[in-house]
Amino acid sequence: MKFYRVKAVTLRHLYEVRRNPTHLTNMLYWPVMNIVVWGFFTIYLAHRGSPNLVSSLLAAVILWGLFNSFQRDMAVGFLDELWSRNLLNLFGSPLSVTEYVAGLLSVNLIKACMGTVLEALIALLCYHFNIFPMAIAFVPFVFNLVLFGLAIGIAVTGLIFRYTTKFQVLAWGFAGLLMPLSCVFYPLKSLPAFLSPVAWMLPTTHSFEGMRQAIAGGGFSRQHFQWGIALDVAYFLLSALAFHYLFESARSRGLLVKME
Amino acid sequence: MVVSVEGLTKEFGRFKAVDSISFDLDRGEIVGLLGPNGAGKTTTIHMMLGLISPSHGTIRIFGTDVAEDRETILQRLNFTSPHAAFPGRLTVLENLTVYARLYGVRDPVTRIMDLLERFGIARLKNKPVSRLSSGENTRLGLCKGFLNDPELLLLDEPTVYLDPEAAIQVRETLLEMQRLRGTTILFASHNMREVQHTCNRLIFMSHGRIIASGTAIEVTRQILRENREVPALDEVFVHVARRHRHEVLSR
Repeated sequence: MKFYRVKAVTLRHLYEVRRNPTHLTNMLYWPVMNIVVWGFFTIYLAHRGSPNLVSSLLAAVILWGLFNSFQRDMAVGFLDELWSRNLLNLFGSPLSVTEYVAGLLSVNLIKACMGTVLEALIALLCYHFNIFPMAIAFVPFVFNLVLFGLAIGIAVTGLIFRYTTKFQVLAWGFAGLLMPLSCVFYPLKSLPAFLSPVAWMLPTTHSFEGMRQAIAGGGFSRQHFQWGIALDVAYFLLSALAFHYLFESARSRGLLVKME
Repeated sequence: MVVSVEGLTKEFGRFKAVDSISFDLDRGEIVGLLGPNGAGKTTTIHMMLGLISPSHGTIRIFGTDVAEDRETILQRLNFTSPHAAFPGRLTVLENLTVYARLYGVRDPVTRIMDLLERFGIARLKNKPVSRLSSGENTRLGLCKGFLNDPELLLLDEPTVYLDPEAAIQVRETLLEMQRLRGTTILFASHNMREVQHTCNRLIFMSHGRIIASGTAIEVTRQILRENREVPALDEVFVHVARRHRHEVLSR
C-alpha cells in the first residue's frame, strides 16, 4: 500500500466536492435539515417527557446522520467513477483496490466529520444541547458506526462492480433498511421480543444503546462496545471476502471496462 | 524482452474474444496491433493491464507475470484508450494532478505543464473536462499516458478524433520517445497509413487470432498471398475486414 496513491484518491474526491454541488448538499445541507427538523420535534416532545429523552434523540440524530452519510458516500464515491467512465483509467493505473478504498475512507471521514460538527453546532445554538462534553464517551461507539458503515460501503461497492448500476439504489437506501432495527430513536427493549435477537446482531444497535446509557449517566457500556466491535469485525471480514469474490468475478467477465 | 505473451486466451462464455495468441515486444520497438472491430485487440490490451483476467495463457511484462505483481508493472507503463474518460467536473489540471500522484510523479506541476504544452492544450488547464471537445479529450488522455515517462506504452487508437496536424504531432512524440528513451509501444489503430509510418512491426488479428505478423510488406504478402513489392495495408485491412464480416454472418 502506497500512501501517495491513497492521497491521490482523497484529492480526486475533494476536487469533486469542490466542483459538484450534490456533494456539498449531502455533506452540509442534509445534516442541517436533519437536525432542524428533528430538533423541533424533540422540543415538542420535551414538553411531554424527560430532558434525557431530548438529549437521546438529538444525539441519535447526529450519530445516525454520521453513519448514514458515511456509508452512502463510500458507495456514491465509487459510483462517481462509474458515471464519469473513469474506472478504466483508475484501475489501469498502479492503484490497488485496497488503496482506492483507503482513499475513499479518508475523504468520507473528513466529509462525515464536517457534517457532524455542523449538526452538533446547530444543536448547541438552537436547542442548547451540547454533545461536545460527551464526545469522548461517544468515540468508541462512533468508531463502531464508522467500521460498520465501511463494511456496508465495501459490500455495496462489490455488488455494483459485479451487477453494475442495478444495485446503485443500495448506496442511498441500505442505511434506511437497517434503521428500524437499529434502535436509533428508541431503546432495544421497546422492540417486539421476536425482533430483539435480530437487532442485537446489528452493531448500530449497540452503538445507540451505549450512547443512551452514557447520556443517562450510566457511564461507558463495555458490553455494548465489545458486542459492537466483534460484530463489526465479523461483518467487515464478510464484506471484504464478498468484495474480493465480486471484484474478481467482474474482472473475469470484463465488466471493469464495460461498466454502465 | 519487455513483453512476452504466451497462449493468451479469453473466453466470455462460449465466445472466444482472444484465441491462444503469442507475441513478444523488444525494448524500443513500436508494434502495430491491427484488425477489424471485434478482432480482440482491445481485450488483449485490457488483459495486459490486468483489467480483464485471461482464461488461459500468461503475460509477462518486464520479466514479471502480470497476475503476480500488477502494481509494480503498471508503475512503469501507461496507456490511452478511447473507452476511458475523466471526471467531467474536474478541470484538466485537477485530473492530471490526481493521475500524477497515482503514478508517483516527481515535480508533477512542471511535468503536467510540459505535457499540456506539448499536446497544445495548456490554455485549457482550468477548463472542466466536460467542456472539452472530443479531440481535446484525446489530447488529455495522451497527457495522462505520458505522465510517468513510461517504459512501455499501450495505445488503443491514440489519434482517434484528432485532426491530421495533431495526429502528426502525436506520431512525432512517439518516435522521439522511442529514440531518446527506448520506449516500447504497442499501437492499436485502424489508420493504416499512420501505422505504416510509425511501426517497425505489425501484428494482424482477426476473430481473436493472430493471422499475420512482421513488417508491413511481410504482412501484405502473407495476407494477400501475392508477391507484392510495396506494402498495401489499406487493401490488407479491407480484405481481412470483409472476410471477418463474412465469417461473423455465416455463424
